[in-house]
Amino acid sequence: MRVSRRHLLQSAVAGAVGALPGVRNLAFAETGQGRDLVVVIFLRGGCDALNMMAPANDRSYIDARPPELRVLDAGDRQGHRLDSNLVPGLDFRLHSEAAPLYELYRAGHLAIVVATGLSNATRSHFVAQDLIERGIVDEQKRPERDTGWLARYLAEAKAPASVPAVSANPGVSAGLLGDAAALAVPDMQGGLGIPGGEPVRQALARLYGSGEDVVARAGRQALQNIAAVDVALPRGPDGKVAAYQPDNGAAYDGGGEFMRSLQSVARLAKAELGLAVAAVDCNGWDHHEGEPGRFNNLAGVFARNLAAFYNDMAKRNERMTIVVMSEFGRRLRANRSQGTDHGHGGHMLVLGGHVMGGRLYGTWPGLSTPELDRGVDLAVTTDYRAVLAELVLRRLGVKDTATILPGFTPLAPFGLFRT
Amino acid sequence: MPVATAPTAPPPAAAWAQLNRLAFGPRAGEAELMHRQGLAAWLDQQLKPDEAADGESRKRLAAATLRIRYPAGDQYPAVDETRPLGTLAAPIEQVWPLADGKRPIAGAERQRPRQEVMAATLIRAVYSRWQLREVLVDFWHNHFNVNAAGDQSVAAALPSFDRDAIRPHALGNFRQLLGAVAKSPAMLVYLNNRSSRAGNANENYARELFELHGLGRAAYFNDLYSRWRDVPGAADGHAAGYIDGDVYEAARAFTGWSIEDGAGLGGELRLPMTGRFVYVEAWHDNYQKRVLASEFDPFQPAMADGERVLDLVAFHPATARHVATKLCQRLVADAPPPGLVQAAADRFIKLRDRPDQIAQTVRLIATSPDIARGAGAKVKRPLELVASFMRASGIDFQPTLGLLGELDGSGQRLFGWGPPTGHPDTADYWTSTSAMRRRWSLVLGTAENWWSTGVFDPTHAVGGGEVAAASVLGYWLPLLTGTHEGAEDLAAAMGVEPMTVLATDQARRLVALAALSPRFQRR
Repeated sequence: MRVSRRHLLQSAVAGAVGALPGVRNLAFAETGQGRDLVVVIFLRGGCDALNMMAPANDRSYIDARPPELRVLDAGDRQGHRLDSNLVPGLDFRLHSEAAPLYELYRAGHLAIVVATGLSNATRSHFVAQDLIERGIVDEQKRPERDTGWLARYLAEAKAPASVPAVSANPGVSAGLLGDAAALAVPDMQGGLGIPGGEPVRQALARLYGSGEDVVARAGRQALQNIAAVDVALPRGPDGKVAAYQPDNGAAYDGGGEFMRSLQSVARLAKAELGLAVAAVDCNGWDHHEGEPGRFNNLAGVFARNLAAFYNDMAKRNERMTIVVMSEFGRRLRANRSQGTDHGHGGHMLVLGGHVMGGRLYGTWPGLSTPELDRGVDLAVTTDYRAVLAELVLRRLGVKDTATILPGFTPLAPFGLFRT
Repeated sequence: MPVATAPTAPPPAAAWAQLNRLAFGPRAGEAELMHRQGLAAWLDQQLKPDEAADGESRKRLAAATLRIRYPAGDQYPAVDETRPLGTLAAPIEQVWPLADGKRPIAGAERQRPRQEVMAATLIRAVYSRWQLREVLVDFWHNHFNVNAAGDQSVAAALPSFDRDAIRPHALGNFRQLLGAVAKSPAMLVYLNNRSSRAGNANENYARELFELHGLGRAAYFNDLYSRWRDVPGAADGHAAGYIDGDVYEAARAFTGWSIEDGAGLGGELRLPMTGRFVYVEAWHDNYQKRVLASEFDPFQPAMADGERVLDLVAFHPATARHVATKLCQRLVADAPPPGLVQAAADRFIKLRDRPDQIAQTVRLIATSPDIARGAGAKVKRPLELVASFMRASGIDFQPTLGLLGELDGSGQRLFGWGPPTGHPDTADYWTSTSAMRRRWSLVLGTAENWWSTGVFDPTHAVGGGEVAAASVLGYWLPLLTGTHEGAEDLAAAMGVEPMTVLATDQARRLVALAALSPRFQRR
C-alpha cells in the first residue's frame, strides 16, 4: 500500500513540476522513523497562565485579583482540581472552561510544566515571541541566528519527506524560519488547487521555472508544495476535495482559525507525506481589558479544539507530541480595566500518548511579593528550552541539542516522556 | 486579418522604478511623463497635494457603492441593497451607535465602516493623483495599526481614524500625527487606553507607544527594568532608551484619556455616547512621574502629562531611527542601506518642529540613488499588487465585497490585522505557499473579473478585435513589467506562437500571465 502510494505521489509530482530545477528529493519517508510528529501550539498575545492553571487557595493570588480573573476553588465556576503534590497544601486547579484538558490530564496524557519562560525577562510580545521561536534568549544574538528552532531541528533530522513541515497559519511561523520548503497554509477545507486550474498551473511552472529572484524561488516552492499536497487529498466523485472528516467522532468547536489550523494539520498528517513538524497559532490572548469574558471564551475554544484534535489523531498519539506555549504570562495583580498587563512566567503543556501526564512538573516559585519576579510577576523557574531540549533528546532522536538550542545546557530531565 | 502593431518602447527605467516605489505603480505614459518632468518636480507636486485637484478620485469615491446583505434578525429586517460609502464623511457621533452592543444591529452593519474604508483605500490607490500620499497613508496605517475586524467599536471609529488622524498628517509633522493617533477613538479602544484609570493603569498603549509607534524595540533596555539611572544618558536627562519602568509611568501619564462611550462617572453621571475623545480628570493619576529620565511634577494641568510623554517619544533620536528604518524598508529595500537610514533619521530629527517634516524626510529617501538601485527587490503586498494591476491595465475599476474578501484571504487584512505591529514589510511573509497561491488568485481574478470589479479588454489598445499574441505582448509587457523581456516565455506558457491570432479572452489571459510572472509581483 505504502509503496504504491509513494509511487503515485512521485509520478504525480514529477508530472506536475518535474522540469523545475531545485526540486527536493521526494523519497517518501516512513512516518517519523521513530520520531514523533511535533505540534507546537503558540498562544499569541501572552496567555494569562495564572488564569489557566493556578493555586486557587493561595492567599496572595486571591488578594491580587477579583474572582472573575481567578481559577476558583468553589462555586459554579470552580476550576478542575488537579491531582498533584507539587506544593503540599496548595490546591492547583485548571480553568473551569478547560474540562476537556482536565480529562486528558486525568487520563495521564497531559503534563503541565509550571513557571516556564524566557530567562530574559522581556515584556515585549514581539521580542519574546521572536526569541522563543528562534530557540534563544539573547536579543543581541538574534541576527546571527535568524532561523527558527524547528527549522534547525528539521535540518538536523534530515527526515526525507515531501511535506516535512507545515505552519498552519497565513505566514510561516518564525519557528520554521530558514526552512524554505515549509508549507504555510491556514485552511485546507477547499483543498490547495491552483487558481485557474491546470492551464494556469502549467503556465506558472514555466514562468517560475528559471528565475532566481525571491518571488521566482518562492513560486517554484509553492507549486511543488501544492502539487504534493493536492494529490494526496481525498476527493469526492465530482473531483473536488472532500470536506474534512475527523476520525473517532472528534468534536471540533465549530469554527474559527484555530480549529481550521488544527484540521489542516490532521489532514496533512493523515495524508502520509512525512509530516514531522507543525506550527499552529492560537491567537487573541492579549487581555488588557475585559479579560473575564474574553479569557473564558478563548480558554474554552482552545481546550475543546485541542482535545478534539488529540482525539481525531488517536491512532497517531503514540507518535505525536504536542507542546503548548506562550511568549509570557501576565501580571499577578489585575489592572483597573478588568484585565492584566504583560508579565513574565507562564506554563507549558505537553500532550502525547507517551507523555507521563497527570502530573505537574517544575518548581513552583510562590506568589507572595518577595517570591515574585520584580515583585509583580510569576517568576520563571524553568527555562522554556529545558522542555524543548527534553523533547528533542528523548523523543526526536537527536543526540545533541547544541545546534537546535544554542547556548543551552540540558539539565537532568524531568522525565516527561516514557522511553 | 489582425494588425501586427509595432511594440511600444520600454519606459525609462529609473522613472518606472520610482513609480513602483513612490506610487502604486505606473499608469500608461506616467513613467515617460515623470522622466520628462524630472523627479524633483514630480515630488514638488506630490508632497504638497492639492485636494481640489484630485477630481478623478473624488468623483469615483462619491459614485462608489458596495452591496450589503443580511437576513432578518430578531429586531431588524432583512437587507439586500447597494449603498454609497456613507460612513466616510460622517462625523464619529453618527457612526458610533454601530458600536453599541445593546442595540439590535446586524453584524454586517457593524462591519460596514471597515469595508467602506477598505473600498475607499483601493479607489484612492488606483485613482488618486496624489499617489505618494496614498503610499504614506498605507504606511502609517501599518505603523499605527488598529484592528477593526476584531472589535465593533474600532470599526465604528475607523472612518474617523483614517480621515482625521492619519490622512491630514501623513506627509506632515510626526509629533502632530502621534498626538492625533493618541487621541483617536480607534486607537484608544484598540490599545485599551480608554479604560485606563488611576490606581492600576492599563499599560497596553504606553508599551506599544514606546515599542512600535516610537523608539522601537532596539531601544528597549529590558534588563535594566526599573534602574533608570543605569540607562545610558539618563544622568543628563537624555535616556538612550526605555525600560519597563518608563512603560509603567507613561501608562499613568495617559490615565483619563478616554472616549465618550457612556461609561459611568459616579452617581447618576455618565459620559455621553458620541465616540469622541474626552479627558476625564477624575480618572487621571496626578502624582509625580519620571519618563525617560525626565521628571514630571505632580498635579499638572489637564493632559499635560500625556502630551509631555508624546513630546519625549516624538523627539527622541531612537524614534527617528525607528521611523526612518521603517520608511526606508517600505520605499527602498527589506534591509535598507544603513547610510540612507542614518541620513533620513538625521533629517527627521533636524526638522522635528516643521509642518513638512515627514514630506522632507520622504524626499531625501525618494531622491537617493538607492531607490532605483534596488528596483525589483521588494515584493508587492496584495494591495500594491491589485492597485498596480488596475493602474497598468486601465480597467474601469469598482471595488466589490468579493474583492475585499479575497484581499482579506491574501493575508493583507486592511484595518483588520490582529497584532499592533501591522503587517510585515519583508518578503518572507508575502511569499509563503499560501500567500503565493492567493497572489496568483488576486491577479488572475482581477484580470478576468471574477469579482465584478471591471472588465479588462486588452485588445482595445492594439486596434481591437482579433490581434496577434506578439502585438498584445508588445504593448502590455513593457507597461506591466517595464521591459520586453520574457515575451517568448509568455507565449509559450500560453501555448501560442507570436503570430497566433487571439480572441479577446485569450488575449486577456495572456496579459494576466504577464502579471502573474515574478517580475510583475516585485517592485
